[in-house]
Amino acid sequence: MGETTNDGAHMSAGIDLSQFFQVFFEEAGENLEQMERKLLALDVGAPDDEELNAIFRCAHSVKGGAATFGFSDVAELTHQMETLLDKLRRHELSPTAEMVDVLLQSGDALRAQLARHQGHGTVPIETADLLVSIRRMCEGPGADVAAPAMAPVAAKPAATAVAAAPAPAAPVKPVAAGARVLALTVGPLEDPSQADSLVELFREITDLGTIEPLDGGQAADGLRRFKITTTTADSELLDLCTFHVARESLRLESGGAGYGFFKGSPGAPAETAPAEPAKDLGYGFFDDAPGAPAHAASAPAAPVAPVPAAATPARPVVAAAAAPRAEKAAASPESSTLRVSVEKVDQLINLVGELVITQAMLAQNGKNVDSQLYQQLVSGLTDLERNTRDLQEAVMSIRMIPMSLVFNRFPRMLRDLAGKLGKKVEMVTQGEATELDKGLVEKITDPLTHLVRNSCDHGIEMPAERLARGKPESGTITLVASHQGGSIVIEVRDDGKGLNRDKLIKKARERGLDAPDTMSDQDVWGLIFAPGFSTADVVTDVSGRGVGMDVVKKNITALGGTVEIDSAEGYGMTVRVRLPLTLAIMDGMSVGVGEECYILPLASVVESFQVEPGMIKTIGGSGRVVEVRDEYMPVVDLERVFEVPRFDFEHVSNIMVVVEAEGGRVALLVDELLGQQQVVVKNLEANYRKVDDVSGATILGDGRVALILDIGSLVRRSRH
Amino acid sequence: MHSILAVDDSASMRQMVSFTLKNAGFNVVEAVDGQDAYEKANGRDFNLVLTDQNMPRMDGISLTRKLRENPKFKTTPILILTTESSDQMKQAGRAAGATGWLVKPFDPAKLIEVIGKVIR
Repeated sequence: MGETTNDGAHMSAGIDLSQFFQVFFEEAGENLEQMERKLLALDVGAPDDEELNAIFRCAHSVKGGAATFGFSDVAELTHQMETLLDKLRRHELSPTAEMVDVLLQSGDALRAQLARHQGHGTVPIETADLLVSIRRMCEGPGADVAAPAMAPVAAKPAATAVAAAPAPAAPVKPVAAGARVLALTVGPLEDPSQADSLVELFREITDLGTIEPLDGGQAADGLRRFKITTTTADSELLDLCTFHVARESLRLESGGAGYGFFKGSPGAPAETAPAEPAKDLGYGFFDDAPGAPAHAASAPAAPVAPVPAAATPARPVVAAAAAPRAEKAAASPESSTLRVSVEKVDQLINLVGELVITQAMLAQNGKNVDSQLYQQLVSGLTDLERNTRDLQEAVMSIRMIPMSLVFNRFPRMLRDLAGKLGKKVEMVTQGEATELDKGLVEKITDPLTHLVRNSCDHGIEMPAERLARGKPESGTITLVASHQGGSIVIEVRDDGKGLNRDKLIKKARERGLDAPDTMSDQDVWGLIFAPGFSTADVVTDVSGRGVGMDVVKKNITALGGTVEIDSAEGYGMTVRVRLPLTLAIMDGMSVGVGEECYILPLASVVESFQVEPGMIKTIGGSGRVVEVRDEYMPVVDLERVFEVPRFDFEHVSNIMVVVEAEGGRVALLVDELLGQQQVVVKNLEANYRKVDDVSGATILGDGRVALILDIGSLVRRSRH
Repeated sequence: MHSILAVDDSASMRQMVSFTLKNAGFNVVEAVDGQDAYEKANGRDFNLVLTDQNMPRMDGISLTRKLRENPKFKTTPILILTTESSDQMKQAGRAAGATGWLVKPFDPAKLIEVIGKVIR
């Protein structure tokens, strides 16, 4: 590890910066997300100052971190964005839709860059076009920045004396040893933006060192000022610069004059990279300010006294052997949140699941204990049950994340999509704070994306058509999330043209589907979930190739959820997705068939009753139906479905449980109702193999395994 | 042990600064913005305040100004960490009563070096 510096006292700065990378990545991700959200919400015509400030801060914050931690490409792009945003918040420029577009694209590029630094993908992200666009926008309307012509200098052997430039992806790049800090003043120029081509020059020739605009890209008095860190000789540097700016407009001075930067630690560990703001610009004290050291610099506008040259000997920030590791840093005493890996939480959930099973076993055995004799044991078991349930809820809540994480991606998508389609669409979200299990959130994102795209593509009409129908020009897509009982309900509503009953029926018949005129609306709308069904007159590249809604339905059903549609032609459509709150635990009803026990998801149970003679009617050979309050529904005999061995041949199952799924109902024939309980769902497919009509398994209180029935599958089976 | 109030709205910067300072043997209290810092400053004594400039709710210069109004902070060194080193910024910092500035990005060694000049 590096030596301590001369000051002695508290010098052990051999800090491994990589320990902060993860926090930075997460923070940058959040900032980019926030920036995107705010950009999308920005009213270009009448921007809110506070919003502009907030957007600026997002870029600013990412830039600060990126520069500190050595992600030069990220810092470079955010720096440019920040320059533009700064002008916007200072009202030097007015925001335009193009600016928002470019800033959004830049956000995407930054995400890609950050992903790359995190080890996802190796291809460098091309941002040259974005940088040029932003820079041009910074110049304001009318200004025309000549595309930087680099060819003549690109091969110039200017930097032969300099150590080879490090690999571009390396996060920490040392500035070549012996680098000098220089101040370059450019101007006066007719077009001050000309000076920016110097930045390009340094980007092209990485060996040249670094250049940083000191004036935030603005000419104060017609002059532009840069700080250069380089090992190249002055004359050679000036030669190169004259390719872009006339010699008489260039003034090169050794570091510091007028700008309060110190000749920093020479060749010191720089986390900056070429073309990045160099880190050793310095610091300063206001003389006579409280607490300023005796040898403080003079007045701020005047040259600042240099720090003794020996301030910091060269010492690279080395990743290895940094003394105290990240744990210390991660657990800051002032922070109120803790980031934990999902694996740890899942492990906790599994353990709690096992505990629930053990508790259920104890509870079952406890039933046989004489409560008079073992009063304490019984009350202990009661406490255990309550505590286990509380613990389970608490642990499950760790995995709960707000729906806003899904909703937030839609405004951007919709904006791009509407732009492509020439439509005007606004997005409204409600209930973003509604929480859902993380696993479900991940799995519901794709189906929801599809629904939103569908609404935009097929639902919302073109602006002219909307106006002709007396609707507002701009369509609205509303996303609503809410808790209802043990489920979460997510609605995708649009105020578009809605579904056309006749068209759907006609289409269904063309496809050979059974579609009588007497079908209920609900059933007609359900047709769009049939495989290969698309009602779009024109297939666009956005959606509607006929795959989709059936896949959406399948995916949602696989999550234990349901989809319903409401529509009124001319007024729009609502797709309602209902999901269980979590996949790991389910409220179940256990039923007995022979020696076997099966679990029915409680959410799907409608009612149960005792079969009276004559209630069951046989139709068309083997099909049996039961009449319940004037409604006939198919009977599914679980004994037959699962081929339950039966030794008591006289026995006749006489309990019916009506269950509902996918808009259909069936009556299950069982021997007995065993009770209701929470079950820990174990994946059968992952542990064994896919079994028809079974969605999972659980371990009962007595240690037996019970299968959890897939009601949707049973309902489908009864339709055939 | 010297106590430092470290103010930054960026968690990564805050962690970096805080870790560096703790590593160097300082006692550190973190604050997430000027407002938070101002509230925390009222309860305790600090030997140094290190603050970011651009933050939501209250920026570094405003924080400096408000702290200087408190007799307890009349002579406490206050350093502003900023990406901007323009004269404008410096004048604003000076007018608010800041002790000095440190330009971002900086590395841990630089931070310790600067702090060594105001805390003895």
